[in-house]
Amino acid sequence: MGKETPAEKSLNLIRGRLCDPSYVFRPLSASSDSNYSKLKFIVSTSITEGCNNSMLLLGPRGSGKAAVLDLGVGDLLEQFPDSVSVIRLNGLLHSDDNCAFKEIAKQLCMEHHLLFSKMASFDDNSQFIIAMLRACGLAHKTIIFVLDEFDMFAQGKQRLLYSLLDAMQSVTSQAVVVGISSRLDADQLLEKRVRSRFSHRKFLFLPPSREELDGLFVHLLSLPADSGFPSGYVSRFNDKIKNLTSDTRFKDILKTLFNANSTVNSFLKFIFCAVSLMNLESGLLSLENFKAALSSMQRQPKLEAVRDCSVLELYLLVCMRRLEVKEQSSYNFISVMKEYKAIHDSFHTSDYYAQNVCLRAFEHLRERQVICYAENRGQSQTGEYRLQKLLISASELHQGMRSHACCPAILLKLLDH
Amino acid sequence: MPAIAGPSSSPQKHVVGSRSESIGGVRSAEVNTSRKRKLISDSAAEVSATVVLPVNSISTPMKWKSPRRCAVSIPKTSDEEIKEDSNEKLENPVISVCLEVKSKWNPKDDEQMKAVKEALHVSKAPSTVVCREDEQRRVFEFVKGCMEQKKAGSLYICGCPGTGKSLSMEKVRLQAEEWAKQAGLHCPETVSVNCTSLTKSTDIFSKILGNYESGKKANGSFSPLQQLQRLFSQKQQQSRSKMMLIIADEMDYLITRDRGVLHELFMLTTLPLSRCILIGTVFCVINVHFLKSVSYGQTSFKFKVRICPPGVANAIDLADRFLPKLKSLNCKPLVVTFRAYSKDQILRILQERLVALPFVAFQSNALEICARKVSAASGDMRKALCVCRSALEILEIEVRGSIDQEPKGPVPECQVVKMDHMIAALSKTFKSPIVDTIQSLPQHQQIIVCSAAKAFRGSKKDRTIAELNKLYLEICKSSMITPAGITEFSNMCTVLNDQGILKLSLARDDKLKRVSLRVDEADITFALKEIRFFRNCLL
Repeated sequence: MGKETPAEKSLNLIRGRLCDPSYVFRPLSASSDSNYSKLKFIVSTSITEGCNNSMLLLGPRGSGKAAVLDLGVGDLLEQFPDSVSVIRLNGLLHSDDNCAFKEIAKQLCMEHHLLFSKMASFDDNSQFIIAMLRACGLAHKTIIFVLDEFDMFAQGKQRLLYSLLDAMQSVTSQAVVVGISSRLDADQLLEKRVRSRFSHRKFLFLPPSREELDGLFVHLLSLPADSGFPSGYVSRFNDKIKNLTSDTRFKDILKTLFNANSTVNSFLKFIFCAVSLMNLESGLLSLENFKAALSSMQRQPKLEAVRDCSVLELYLLVCMRRLEVKEQSSYNFISVMKEYKAIHDSFHTSDYYAQNVCLRAFEHLRERQVICYAENRGQSQTGEYRLQKLLISASELHQGMRSHACCPAILLKLLDH
Repeated sequence: MPAIAGPSSSPQKHVVGSRSESIGGVRSAEVNTSRKRKLISDSAAEVSATVVLPVNSISTPMKWKSPRRCAVSIPKTSDEEIKEDSNEKLENPVISVCLEVKSKWNPKDDEQMKAVKEALHVSKAPSTVVCREDEQRRVFEFVKGCMEQKKAGSLYICGCPGTGKSLSMEKVRLQAEEWAKQAGLHCPETVSVNCTSLTKSTDIFSKILGNYESGKKANGSFSPLQQLQRLFSQKQQQSRSKMMLIIADEMDYLITRDRGVLHELFMLTTLPLSRCILIGTVFCVINVHFLKSVSYGQTSFKFKVRICPPGVANAIDLADRFLPKLKSLNCKPLVVTFRAYSKDQILRILQERLVALPFVAFQSNALEICARKVSAASGDMRKALCVCRSALEILEIEVRGSIDQEPKGPVPECQVVKMDHMIAALSKTFKSPIVDTIQSLPQHQQIIVCSAAKAFRGSKKDRTIAELNKLYLEICKSSMITPAGITEFSNMCTVLNDQGILKLSLARDDKLKRVSLRVDEADITFALKEIRFFRNCLL
């Protein structure tokens, strides 16, 4: 293999940036009003002054809750290398109390170079954790508990939450409990004893503004001047990025994207898709890359399913639609075949197939989940007599048939009347 | 806006350096004073402690900068005496610095800020429990009566979280031990069990047995409950005549389907003990929390909440509901109710904590509004302390901001926690994040939330996604907006379900999923009415 071209190098550089949360969220956290600054202030107050805190990070999925927390905790680990230890739990992995206590004991043992025993019971682990909290408090060391998917810990008896928060209030410990959740009412899910001990600090992660996103766009895609790229290529690339941000059509593309989903994660996916479509000959991004990325993010799987149907399957779908228009909200294969036969008798179509062939086409539609059984009961009946339900709307069927390659014209007419 | 960690770090370090130098000077003076004081005594242990002390102070001066004083009372040893001396040295510089400032509070001073934060921390237990004297006296009289008559009994304490139950029980236990010493009786043996730490509810009998008869725990032929029943039914030796005080915290964790554990625990106090004058007896003091929650109103622009109902009737009903057999067997426990704190009580407790400081950190208006809001919401003392500490941090951030801008203008002389700091802290604690989130949703998601509000305006409680999509398409058509496709619409409904705004059922296919609204419709109206686009849709 030969040497990497500048286009490939820039492609790898930009992709690496998009996959690096600290590179993405560091500029978004620069202001003193941001969640990063508030978070870091509270945790550093707990470290320097030896008090306990508990807080909740709330926001939709993809808004950077865990990334911002990792930024803050990483900075504090550099600032106080001997006074901070981090224990990470995830509600999807450790929602059982026994499993969570064992995981905490295991991480505490690894952090402080102790010997972890897998045979330890729940009582042993909980007493060990309380003893460790007391010892770390006397040694002025802060333990940060990160509970990801916090609403999963709020199911069941909430023993873990009660034990952690009660130890923070009663024992001379230095600990911070950080819950991360996408449920806005995560603190309402807590039991009243746990809610009383929780300090109700909530950090709301709202989507960034348009100016911040434009700045993020330039930050992610600009090439540095002092790297190994040819200087002419760098200036052409960066000029192209600046021209894109001031283009009206590009702004419309971003507006369409943000009107549906305005989290940072969806923005990163969009840019990743556009960058992956970059022309490797010229090595420059163009407006067509972002248009193609937007259309790929706006896929309609059921439209594509209709587009790929055979002609007989289209006939069956149109028959089902006509039955629904006639106020028959439920139908089975026999009813559809009657309608199909009536259409053939009225219009004398050339596409007429036998019943077993139609039954196979019917089952293909159900396997693709364009139709499904209306009720789960009655499984003893054969497939022909069970009630079916159409899972696509009339507009979807209409668009799919119009984009079909060889759709008969009579089917469109039949669908309208 | 200048960042906090910006160019101000260098002058901050200078200020910190000079302060530590002055404090070091004061500390060395204290070392000389304590050395002179200790030379007077003749005890060999104290002389050895004096010998150890200079080595510690010389070799490890950084230990004196411990950020927090140990609040737990530990039995005294020579090491603890050294630690206490260092604690005294830590306290004295604060007093001397405050005398110089003439009791005016300086929020920039780190030592004073630490003192205020420590006074307001939940874990700092006051020496006397304010506003709970009546309840403490009732429980103490009950315990005293049982100890005098060597009779078993059961007591039942109920109240909302944060009303001082465990703290009062700790004080009663200490009072009982002191009273037993004065009256010449045996000190009661105390078992403190927190029922949330039990894996199984029957573990409480193992813990009681482990404390009572440490030698007999190895007996595996009987269950712990049976061993306890035998112990309390048969005659005991003279040496086992001590009373046993069992404090079971969070007792509703013992509730099982048949309520067997609770029943047996109460029945332990009714075993035939009073006939034997010389036999050791046991009585239980049990904390029970209510199984009902204080619900906060969904509207976030005003603090509309429901007040927790008074506990007397509920306590009696709770006892009868859980333990109907005990009533018929003449084993009904005495009930002591801890009501939620009122405004005056919260204010008094806060002032009691802050009066020990040699300066004034909070305006009385600020404490008043904090007491009013918290007592109207839940009467939870932990919440009040949390709000005060939050207000203190708001002031601290403000003061640090003014430190950064020090060359620009003069810093105001007197800086305390004012009304607006407390109002900001209260709104941060009690405010629901629903309105902010709805206002910051993308446009199509806002249209979906608006469609959901219109769909559920009638009496219907849930609809399918297809019906919601139909309403969504109508709003888009009337507003001349290109609607999203059905797949994108379904994805947006999933995002709203993850945030807890909508609720989607778990049907396999999208069209059949049922949608219901989790958020109050008034919240949606309030959030979207400022946007001109939605003003027509919501009418």
